Amino acid sequence: MKQLTHILEGFGSTLQLLLRSLSYIGTLPRQRGRFIEQCYLIGYTTLPIVAILSFFIGSVLALQAGYSMQNFGAKQFIGSLVGLSMARELGPVMVAILLAGRVGSAITAELASMKVYQEIDALVTMNIPPARILVLPRLAAVLVMVPVLAIIADLVGWFGGAIVTKYVSFISIEPEAYFSVLRRYMKFKDVLNGLIKAEVFGFGVVLVCCNIGLNTRGGPREIGAAVTRAVVVSLILILVLDYFVTKALL
Amino acid sequence: MNNPQQTARVGLFFLLGLALTWVTFETLSGGKVFKDKGYNLIAGFESLKELKEGDEVRMAGVKIGTVEKTRLAGRRAEAVLRIDNTIRIASDATASIVMAGLIGTNYIGIDLGSEKAPPLQPGAEIHTRVTPDLNTIMTEIGSLGQKLEGALSSFGTTLNGDGKGGGLFQKLDKLVSDNSERVSTTMTNLQEITGKLNRGEGTIGKLINDPSLHDQLVAAIAEFKATASQAQAFVADAQGIVAQVKSGKGTIGALLYDDTAGNDLKATVANLRSVSDKLAKGEGTLGKLINDDTLYNTAQGTLKKADRALDGMNDAGPITAVGIVANSLF
Amino acid sequence: MPTPSHTRNPFTSVETPAVGVEIQGLSKNFGRLEVLKDVSFSIEPGEIFVMMGPSGSGKSVLLKHIVGLETPTAGRVMVNGLDATTEAAREQVRMAMVFQAGALFNSLTVYDNLALYLREHQVADENGIKEKVMRALQILSLEQTAQKFPSDLSGGMKKRVAIARALVMEPQLLLYDEPTSELDPVMSATISEIIALLRDEYHVTSLVVTHDRDLALNIADRVGILMDSRLVFLGTPAELRHPSNEKVNSFLNPKIDLKNPRYKKLET
Repeated sequence: MKQLTHILEGFGSTLQLLLRSLSYIGTLPRQRGRFIEQCYLIGYTTLPIVAILSFFIGSVLALQAGYSMQNFGAKQFIGSLVGLSMARELGPVMVAILLAGRVGSAITAELASMKVYQEIDALVTMNIPPARILVLPRLAAVLVMVPVLAIIADLVGWFGGAIVTKYVSFISIEPEAYFSVLRRYMKFKDVLNGLIKAEVFGFGVVLVCCNIGLNTRGGPREIGAAVTRAVVVSLILILVLDYFVTKALL
Repeated sequence: MNNPQQTARVGLFFLLGLALTWVTFETLSGGKVFKDKGYNLIAGFESLKELKEGDEVRMAGVKIGTVEKTRLAGRRAEAVLRIDNTIRIASDATASIVMAGLIGTNYIGIDLGSEKAPPLQPGAEIHTRVTPDLNTIMTEIGSLGQKLEGALSSFGTTLNGDGKGGGLFQKLDKLVSDNSERVSTTMTNLQEITGKLNRGEGTIGKLINDPSLHDQLVAAIAEFKATASQAQAFVADAQGIVAQVKSGKGTIGALLYDDTAGNDLKATVANLRSVSDKLAKGEGTLGKLINDDTLYNTAQGTLKKADRALDGMNDAGPITAVGIVANSLF
Repeated sequence: MPTPSHTRNPFTSVETPAVGVEIQGLSKNFGRLEVLKDVSFSIEPGEIFVMMGPSGSGKSVLLKHIVGLETPTAGRVMVNGLDATTEAAREQVRMAMVFQAGALFNSLTVYDNLALYLREHQVADENGIKEKVMRALQILSLEQTAQKFPSDLSGGMKKRVAIARALVMEPQLLLYDEPTSELDPVMSATISEIIALLRDEYHVTSLVVTHDRDLALNIADRVGILMDSRLVFLGTPAELRHPSNEKVNSFLNPKIDLKNPRYKKLET
């Protein structure tokens, strides 16, 4: 029961934070500097790990598909399998999980420490709403940067798959064949679908992490606890949202 | 917190994202951005089968465009084809859905048409032709199977009868069951005879002692064999013989009269029945008869031929007559 | 001391009406813990009101009520006639608070810490902001620290930066939470002088929460003492020197008796 009220409370405060942040949307042009900074942190610095991870996810996907498909002679369809899986599911989910781990945790840590060291209180006494200068730029940045990360994840994953299908001896499909099958069975809609998913996940993760950070109470020890909670909640949120967004987009 | 380098990186990063998205879009949607590249043709089919958007359009095997859209139009299915601008399609060219693989990979094949025909204008409709695909072939094989089944069952009816009239088998059955008693007696007798012959019991003294009689018997059997092989003739003959036999002894007596051998044969024939009876009772003696394989073998061959002749016959009558003759003979 | 009715802007010398605070029957519970019980007093415009009391007596919570960071369980806090919990109070009355630990923005330089308020509220263009910030830093002798980050500063400097940051807001009401704690006596005296300076020069209404007797006795216009969640003393520094209340007296003048230590008294 107490858990349930906690969840509902978290849900409600997250929603409130979203609405409050959105009410300051007009100040965004003035906050260009903060927006660029957050874009840099959320997008640019996350790129390497996204690229590395998606490359190997694409590779492993191709490897597993090749291994299981060779039994019934369908391995020429690896291209479409890797392409669709990356674009529709693994790309967005992976980007979101990396965002939660890398960006979300950092956001929560930063906001929680600001809260614990009364910087948030100071902002409030200065009549500068934290939602305006701390949350809004992050939300805007994540919206702009996540599709970029997701499309890179998709493409790098596809190339990872292509390399595996060419050089693994029991698959050995030429990249031309791989990409031709990928193209044949994919539409841009599939990629767009994935980008929308990534957008929803990324936005949700950043929002939740901001909220948890801003609602931290107590001493410095709470910062660590808040970060852990933020990452856990983000991961759950991603997978729950995944189901519903996928269903809605089908 | 906001230096120009950072701004530049973010800007570059974002542009990279835009570029990649655009490239992906271009690749996956088959260059739909260039709407003005190529022109449309409409191909109407009864069914598009496995054809889907993005499939190739080929002329004589060379890719000349893609299927831009598939849609239902009234009572038919239409495929909107996007043809490269450089390609002219003759107005009498025909389009058909061609299967490129077993698993749902189709393309639209367009033949070259005639050289003189004017080219199709954008938006025009192209002639189409229905080609059998795997499904149609399968369906046809299915209906072929049905026909085959029908034929087989009517054949079965011929043999087995439709339940009322009685087919060949019923008739045969009837024949056998009607005469079962006689047949079985004969069979039992034969069994016992052969049994005794095997054991070497009995002696047919005179029969064996007279070689001419034996020769004649062999000849008669040979003749019988020839007769049997021409079943109809045999049956007719048999009928004739039976009629004569039935009409009176004189004829047969006159036929066999003349000789000692004839007398002997006459006695033999007259006694055959009693011989059979006696054999059945274990009284007869067949001595040397067993030593002559020819008789048995010939008899067997005759039986086989009779068997075959029987297969070809639908009429039970003559067989009954044969049965009677055989009966009266033994 | 006459209480001026207008706050003079330290930058523009424009005078705006000084604000007063009215606290009526304020109670605050955290769960079952009663932090404040029926506290009532008022701070006159332009005066320095010093609130003293042992640790955990609820002084900081009282401050948070005045800036609207906490909402009362019972009673009201009126700032210049406006309920402190409303947006209106925060928008119409320029309040600044000097937090105990400074609460400087660690990710920003001292300069940006001071400039943040001005930039966010678009008080002036970048040149005007620079002028104001440097003036505030000058008042507190902090010009050298402008490009440093808070983590590079000493405790006393952080407190001064916090005061400077409060100052650039051109506040009508300044709240200090333990401004002299953790400071050496000289630095404490310096801070006290600055608080007094702000009153004398700019007529800012100030509420100082502190344990510092010297500060209270030297610069306060009036003093209140919170003990066990209640306001047990309210008067002038002169009255504070000879309190009638025994508990107040033992709080202000604790005797260090090695032969008879307090922890033993507590045991009996």
